[in-house]
Amino acid sequence: MNGTVTGAPRRPLPLRSLLVQSAWSRRRDRRGFWFIAPFLIFFVVLMLAPLGYAIYTSLYTTRIIGGTAFTGAANYTQTLESGEFWSGVIRVIVFAAIQIPVMLAIAFFFATIFDLGVAKYGTLFRTIFFIPFAVPAVVGAVMWSFLLEPQFGPFVHLADSLGFQGTDYFSSGLILPTIIVIVIWEWTGYNMVILYTALRSVPRDVIEAAILDDTPLWKIIVKVKLPMVRPAIVLLVFINTIGALQLFTEPLILQYFETQAISVNFTPTLYIYNTAIAGAQYNLAAAAAVILGVVIVIISVSSLFVRRRRSEV
Amino acid sequence: MSATTVVRPGPEPRPPVPPPPRQRRGQEDDSIPIEYYGLRRGTVTTVTTLCVLFAIFTLVPIAWLVINSTKTQANIFESFGFWFASPFVFGKNFALLFQNVDGYGVYFRWFGNTVLYAVVGGGGATALAALAGYGFARFHFRGSRALFYLVIGALLVPITAITLPLYLSYAKVHLINSIWGMILPSMVSPVGVYLMRVFVEVSVPRELIDAARIDGAGELRIFFRLALPLMVPGLMTVLLLNVVTVWNNYFLPLIIFSQNQLYPLTVGLGLWSERAQNSGNAEIFPLIVLGGLVTIVPLIALFLILQRYWRSGLLLGSIAN
Repeated sequence: MNGTVTGAPRRPLPLRSLLVQSAWSRRRDRRGFWFIAPFLIFFVVLMLAPLGYAIYTSLYTTRIIGGTAFTGAANYTQTLESGEFWSGVIRVIVFAAIQIPVMLAIAFFFATIFDLGVAKYGTLFRTIFFIPFAVPAVVGAVMWSFLLEPQFGPFVHLADSLGFQGTDYFSSGLILPTIIVIVIWEWTGYNMVILYTALRSVPRDVIEAAILDDTPLWKIIVKVKLPMVRPAIVLLVFINTIGALQLFTEPLILQYFETQAISVNFTPTLYIYNTAIAGAQYNLAAAAAVILGVVIVIISVSSLFVRRRRSEV
Repeated sequence: MSATTVVRPGPEPRPPVPPPPRQRRGQEDDSIPIEYYGLRRGTVTTVTTLCVLFAIFTLVPIAWLVINSTKTQANIFESFGFWFASPFVFGKNFALLFQNVDGYGVYFRWFGNTVLYAVVGGGGATALAALAGYGFARFHFRGSRALFYLVIGALLVPITAITLPLYLSYAKVHLINSIWGMILPSMVSPVGVYLMRVFVEVSVPRELIDAARIDGAGELRIFFRLALPLMVPGLMTVLLLNVVTVWNNYFLPLIIFSQNQLYPLTVGLGLWSERAQNSGNAEIFPLIVLGGLVTIVPLIALFLILQRYWRSGLLLGSIAN
């Protein structure tokens, strides 16, 4: 077969064979299912079925005496009435609302610089900025915990020498900004690379035309480039939001280092984890997980709607 | 759009912007020379300074990790964090990574586990995603669009809503403390399917497949001999993404494993961090530091080596978005 594929262009097919072809191609297209089937089996067994099981379990309650019984919405009411769960939800929303715009602004700034080729050694910097993507969140959080540790951390000495005596990065007022910095450290490079590649695909002649019209550089960036990479930005907002609302690893590791710094149920995912593992209340945890899923759907999908509304105007 | 009628004063009067010298892999050389933007010299300096500052921010924790992997517990806390201190105990710390410290587990055992999970799980995920992405991109059967949206929609499901029920079901099918309990869920990558579909749309021409069909080639043969070689850059990107995802995964192994000889690095290091505060064992902090370093080095190396594939893969992905 190898040789025949790259043959000369074929004559147009006669009508009869076109008619035959449509039936043939429908049968052939159905064969495409077999390419998807292996993934689909895994997807159904290891994703859809567990999700279904989570919803199912959330409707039951297991008691030490009396066993498991159907309790309907009881677990949902209990979660919805839990102040700890909601304060966690609000905390991750605040976290997302600050962390994502700041990170995307930094990422877009550097992506633009590298795209324009303004900075020296752009390739080197781009590679350096991307490195944290290869660092697991666990290791990232461990490193920053050492650096910010209230008694010995070098950054505390740094703050001292800058005149901020006794800075405690793990205090209740600074813990959220601290986590924001850590997550920005972890993810800016990845977002930057995506934006950079999107910027690279802006047609060159559009930029040339703008230059010839004597458009100032900032205007080229804001009025020409930014709108053209908006789809990439929307995608990143969407993905980052889903991740931010499930914040888990960083606060958990910081908790190991400074037990007082972070409340046990600091984020909804920590709440679910503690309810299930420490409390062994799987039904309640499942209900909380489903509610978190609904929150994620509402917030991330509404971010897509904002985009649509704006682009219609 | 290219406005060639306007003559612009510059080093070369015609054409206004010189065509880029076509170079292999030379993305940088594709840029419009910066003089055309009317930038002042100061701007280049300012911008480069900002890059240096952010690079310092990025590298500081890693530098700290490298330097402090050579220190004793006392020196990690008492000596200056950004320079070496004697005694230099990198070798001693490294040897400890092979031992079972305090009965919490052996670091290099975790390292081996992580490699196994990442290679089998990430590789499997990539294979499934390649097949499915090709299927979604080049076949249109009834319900294929709906299926695709279902797969993408799974991105919205919180990991807890999948991992907790998995844990509960594992207890029933004896997958608790089994490596398959970790590997099998790692093979499901909706993002991988999405990306592979995009890569196939961009890099495998429909006409080529049709031509092969008319020549009587079977669908599987077309996939392996024709499509797969064209998909290589995308395949490498997805493989890297999947391997990193499994390598960095914390939540799933944290929940499903209760025996420390099955832990991946993330869970092991997390356990050490938790115990270091309470156990008073002087050996653990240096181990966490060096263990963290040994965890990140292979992935950084992998990225630097495969950078070329990774870049072109991402580029394709962003075009199709």
